[in-house]
Amino acid sequence: MASNKKYWTSVVELKDSSIVEKLSKSEFQEEIPVDEFLGDKDSLEKSATTRRDFLKYVGFTTAAASLAACEGPVIKTIPYVIKPDNVIPGVADYYASVIADGYDFANVLVKVRDGRPIKIQPNKDVKKHNTTNARVLASVLSLYDNNRLRHPLENGKQTDFKSLDAKVVAKLNEINANGGKIIILTGTLASPSAEKVIADFKAKYPTTEHVVYDAVSESAALDAFEQTYGERALPNYDFSKTEVVVSVGADFQADWQGGGFANDFAKTRVPKNGKMSKHIQFESNLSLTGANADKRYALKPSEQKFALINLYNAVTGANLPSKKTPQDAAIKKAAQALKAANGNAVVVTGIQDKNAQLLALAINSYLQSNVIDVVNTKNIRQGNDAKVAQLLKDMKAGKVDAIITHQVNPVYTLGKDFTDGLKKTKLSVAFALANDETAKNAQFVQTVPHALESWGDVSIEKGQYSLMQPTINKLFTSRQFEEALLSWSGNNVKYYDYIKANSTNYLNGKSFNKALEVGAVSVPVENADVKINEINLSEAASSLAKTKSGKIELAVYTKVGLGDGKQANNPWLQELPDPITRTSWDNYLLLSRADAESLGLKNWTVDNGALNGNLANVTVDGVTLKDVPVYIQPGQANGTVGIALGYGRTEGMQKEMMVGVNAYPFANKTGHEVKIEKVGGEHKFACVQLQHTMMGRDEITNETSLSAFINKPKEEWNPAPKFSLEHKEVSIDEADLWEKFDDTIGHRFNLSIDLATCTGCAACVIACHAENNVPVVGKREIRVSRDMHWLRIDRYYTSDMTEEKGKEEGIFGSGEYFNAQIQPQDQPEVSFQPVMCQHCNHAPCESVCPVAATSHGRQGQNQMAYNRCVGTRYCANNCPYRVRRFNWFKYAKNSEFNFNMNNDLGRMVLNPDVVVRSRGVMEKCSMCIQMTQATILEAKKENRQVNVGEFETACVNACTTGAMKFGDVNNPKEEVTHLQKDDRTFKLLEFIGTKPNVLYQLKIRNDKA
Amino acid sequence: MSHYEAPIRKPLILGNKTYHDVSVDISKPIFGKANKLWWFAFTVALLAFLWGVGAIVYTIGTGIGVWGLNNKINWAWDITNFVWWVGIGHAGTLISAVLLLFRQKWRMGINRSAEAMTIFAVFQAGLFPLIHMGRIWNGYWVMPIPNQFGSLWTNFNSPLLWDVFAISTYLSVSVVFWWTGLLPDFAMIRDRATKPFHKKIYSLVSFGWSGKAKDWQRFEEVSLVLAGLATPLVLSVHTIVSFDFATSVIPGWHSTVYPPYFVAGAVFSGFAMVQTLLIIMRKVSGLEDYITRDHIENMNKVILVTGGIVAIAYLSEFFVGWYSGSSYEDFTYLSIGAATGPYWWAFWALILCNSVFPQLLWIKKFRRSFVFSFFMSIIINIGMWFERFDIIVINLSRGHLPSTWTQFSPTYVDIAIYIGTIGFFFVLFLLYARTFPVVAQAEIKSIMKSSGDRYKGKKH
Repeated sequence: MASNKKYWTSVVELKDSSIVEKLSKSEFQEEIPVDEFLGDKDSLEKSATTRRDFLKYVGFTTAAASLAACEGPVIKTIPYVIKPDNVIPGVADYYASVIADGYDFANVLVKVRDGRPIKIQPNKDVKKHNTTNARVLASVLSLYDNNRLRHPLENGKQTDFKSLDAKVVAKLNEINANGGKIIILTGTLASPSAEKVIADFKAKYPTTEHVVYDAVSESAALDAFEQTYGERALPNYDFSKTEVVVSVGADFQADWQGGGFANDFAKTRVPKNGKMSKHIQFESNLSLTGANADKRYALKPSEQKFALINLYNAVTGANLPSKKTPQDAAIKKAAQALKAANGNAVVVTGIQDKNAQLLALAINSYLQSNVIDVVNTKNIRQGNDAKVAQLLKDMKAGKVDAIITHQVNPVYTLGKDFTDGLKKTKLSVAFALANDETAKNAQFVQTVPHALESWGDVSIEKGQYSLMQPTINKLFTSRQFEEALLSWSGNNVKYYDYIKANSTNYLNGKSFNKALEVGAVSVPVENADVKINEINLSEAASSLAKTKSGKIELAVYTKVGLGDGKQANNPWLQELPDPITRTSWDNYLLLSRADAESLGLKNWTVDNGALNGNLANVTVDGVTLKDVPVYIQPGQANGTVGIALGYGRTEGMQKEMMVGVNAYPFANKTGHEVKIEKVGGEHKFACVQLQHTMMGRDEITNETSLSAFINKPKEEWNPAPKFSLEHKEVSIDEADLWEKFDDTIGHRFNLSIDLATCTGCAACVIACHAENNVPVVGKREIRVSRDMHWLRIDRYYTSDMTEEKGKEEGIFGSGEYFNAQIQPQDQPEVSFQPVMCQHCNHAPCESVCPVAATSHGRQGQNQMAYNRCVGTRYCANNCPYRVRRFNWFKYAKNSEFNFNMNNDLGRMVLNPDVVVRSRGVMEKCSMCIQMTQATILEAKKENRQVNVGEFETACVNACTTGAMKFGDVNNPKEEVTHLQKDDRTFKLLEFIGTKPNVLYQLKIRNDKA
Repeated sequence: MSHYEAPIRKPLILGNKTYHDVSVDISKPIFGKANKLWWFAFTVALLAFLWGVGAIVYTIGTGIGVWGLNNKINWAWDITNFVWWVGIGHAGTLISAVLLLFRQKWRMGINRSAEAMTIFAVFQAGLFPLIHMGRIWNGYWVMPIPNQFGSLWTNFNSPLLWDVFAISTYLSVSVVFWWTGLLPDFAMIRDRATKPFHKKIYSLVSFGWSGKAKDWQRFEEVSLVLAGLATPLVLSVHTIVSFDFATSVIPGWHSTVYPPYFVAGAVFSGFAMVQTLLIIMRKVSGLEDYITRDHIENMNKVILVTGGIVAIAYLSEFFVGWYSGSSYEDFTYLSIGAATGPYWWAFWALILCNSVFPQLLWIKKFRRSFVFSFFMSIIINIGMWFERFDIIVINLSRGHLPSTWTQFSPTYVDIAIYIGTIGFFFVLFLLYARTFPVVAQAEIKSIMKSSGDRYKGKKH
């Protein structure tokens, strides 16, 4: 029913509606004085520009000027014409794949956002080889390397595959017709299909020989295994069964024999029922593995060989010829421990000498070791030093007519011998990602796609088959090695089809698509009887015992950052501080303190806190490396020097990344005598940790011995801080200044780090880099402590000077005492401690920010609102953990910081879920809030609770040993909830009262004999 | 005369001046022309200032990274200079307010310049918290003003916010107090001015002062009220500045002795700066009769007392740190670790300049020597700069976790900005010396006849 009520909006309207009516009709209450305004009408009309025109001009120009000034940044977005079903903008897809670059092999998950792979994660759905080291994680950035070649080259000039194919095939046919030799030189492929492709190629060109070359060779171990077990492969190890491991120069928790053992070994490092593994290490450089050992003994490379014979003698009671070493007593004890372990013991060695490897195999065989696995052997190192040496000879003699290189950079790693030989070939084709040293010297450069753009299959170990699939369309004109070879053999099949067809040979009837989805399949291996060939050990031993000891011996090694140097143009890896030296952007000559003193070589700290060092010329067997910086390394065996491979690349690289010296001329010279000559000048290191000892501060990182852990109450080896309140001893909760709010509702996150299993491998640092768009700042900035890593791994050495000793000597508290305390021991014990934002519940940073840019989240995070930050940096000063990172400059799109964030290609790796921080704001670990929120939202969408273990951060996901755990402590089923109450749990600097949400479990060293 | 005159009371103003003499003396620099020395000093100061401006522009345009700071030492010269300048800005208010309440009439010869120095120093101080911000263009967010961010408010727990209030309050009260005192003097200049330009300016700045009895009565009342307001500020400003450190958890900063110790240190350094300036000024501006040996001695006594307080604070800091037995205290700025560590030179600069050399002032001959007092004031200024440098840099360079220990070294930009603020300070002070009545002549005139009989009428 229509209402006939009259509504009034004001009293005036009710009383006298005429006023309102009048008002509503005329907008302007008074006459507008138009005449007055326009003035003299006549003269106005006479002027060329009328007032109205003038106003128009003014209005238009003002509008035009302001529009011009308002031009926003143009960001081009191109929508899909037909959207692929599986691509939802803003939602990540994960593809199972495998990384296999000849040095690193791992099953991975590739995170793809809007068609761009942005992160590599370990593929935990696969049971084996599912840990990823720093290089594997960083390889996603190598995909977007701005120095990648965009197209194939012929004699340095751009060409296309059609013309390249025509010329190469013509030459191959010519060589083939003349019976000339064709060499395919590759790294370890470990790929059944690629090997078949090469076999096909051989069928077409019968004079072809396939030579496998590992720049960092395990040839000796392969030879020894072949001699003993009749198969050229690497033995496998199941370190989870270890009770005792004796390592003679094997960095088995890092990259020894391709790595990947740390996870299994970690399972034995936390005492269960009073038992844990015992790890004894004999080595010359302080390796990651040595740093984590229960007992570490420094030996020269030559002495390591004698040590292995002595160990064999002590274990078996044999009397093979040998020499004495300074650690014979320790060797005897190690032998007893090995024998007492009932087969749950293993000896590993990294000595590149067949005889040494034979001895190690013999000891393991004698011990009937359950740890070593000689059936499911590994394929990830196949290089043959003898064949490579023969190749070099042949090339020198001009016997090689064509050479095709793939996944190797022999001009860089083999040097002049190879380069000279290359000139004598009639055809040289380099398969390369970038115009590297070898590509520069080859006639043809065949650009290859990155692993993330490729198809492939890899068999990391016998019976394990992983499939590689592209996660992005090829960025540049490139073609896979296998596809090119197929095409040259006259087979125009797609490599994908080829693999699919070939896979029936090994998939054992399983579905290819299913395998592709999961990433890998495991097929049973025939358990044939293991035959052990008779080995003349006394001959091996006597040949080993003949090794001459040098005054100073060389020990070549690889770093967890650069490895063999394939990814030297990857700024994440360059910027990654070495876990031991904590120095980035360099390799250097490692020297012991005593040797450095006798040679007059020094490291010193300059005014801005940065580390400088002397330079030296290093000569081995007549080959000299000039101007090598010297780094004094505690733990380095006296009479040895170490140098890392993988640095000193000069081609296909960005200038900023051309750092270090190329140590490949020394690659096979471990144990050789070194001459060191001090030269003038000094080197500027980029070292992020300048103080190496803990200065008697027990509340930082903690460790205990196994016997104390078993026999003594927790209060003795992991005491909780005590406070005095009203003259009574109280716990930290009772001494709390603040009222507690109810934090049991909703999620509350804790991160837990087990220092017993953390090896310091730094995979977490790279994962954090990738997930959180952490900028690379370059050597100059790292050098002055402006590293931006949200997560760092502190490394501490023990010092000779302790409080007790200081008091005994009567110098406690004096300058002399402190100066002694600052010095690490010559053979220190080492501890690692990953430190990121501790997400304190009583955060010192939060209370001091004047604009409340950092504040506490309900879920326990200490949050950082970048766009609120004005950059007073007070929070960073007041952080006892020093985990806050300031954007001193603009790090993105700034030519001063010419790394991946300064080019369009490199920026493709950025995670769209995390903002790139601007200049002048503080940043720090966010506990990957973008990941936890995504998990919560997903559960919400699916109308369910978040599953136990579903919450993750990038570092936890990447942790190779599972030392890091993350979860919701309000959920009693989560592992971290239990870890909170673990006896080994402590918090960093707990006595300050910051109440961190990050927990640590203390390290336990096995002190049992 | 209503007040009692002790027969032995020494004259506060020498030279047996008449009222007219005083007016002439004070207005001379304003109506006269600047000498070459002034121009030379002004040019140097201006160049330094411009250099500093250039460095500041470069910093804001490029990033704080052009300074020598790093992720472990996030403050260094910036906040050192801030605290140093604030400290210098302490003497003025103390002289004009506290000494007014205590009826110390000798203050009248120096209070004007001391206060000018205060205000100019606080300008410099205020500059550093601004430019040390990573995003200065958002600096207004530290003000609790209504904003477009909804309910987003400042963090009232933050000592930096307290600083904002403390410094701005101090600056505004100081300026008002100073200007109030200037009114009768500006009026005197106005009345003596012959050029219309002078007349116009000074009548503007003297706010229509007429010299009526009511004017004087109000003047006295306002002065007293402002003195009462300013006195607690003398204590509060540096107390709050010290909270920047004292409320933190960093070893060497986290210390309850900071507020009184900082106030004493501020007065100590402020008086030293007054000495530096006035010893030059009395010569250059011909104020020997107004700023006398007695003034210098009195100020030296204040320096001795506050220096003593500071020394005791150092001792207690050193002792308590050591006595705690905590290894985290081994390397604080007052510790054996600092004395023998990489910053040993900064540690000893602090001890020698602030606590050892000033002890010479116990000797009367030194205390009354212009030359010695000048050099001592320079030493104390240096020492007090090092005190702040040590507190900030040494403590931050030796934090809780030894893995984060590092060092700091300034870049040329750090140095340029510091020199720039000194230049800016002197630009302001030199302009002041030429345009302002540098002695509170109206007040001086009230004490000209307060000396004892035996000093009256005697020529020197």
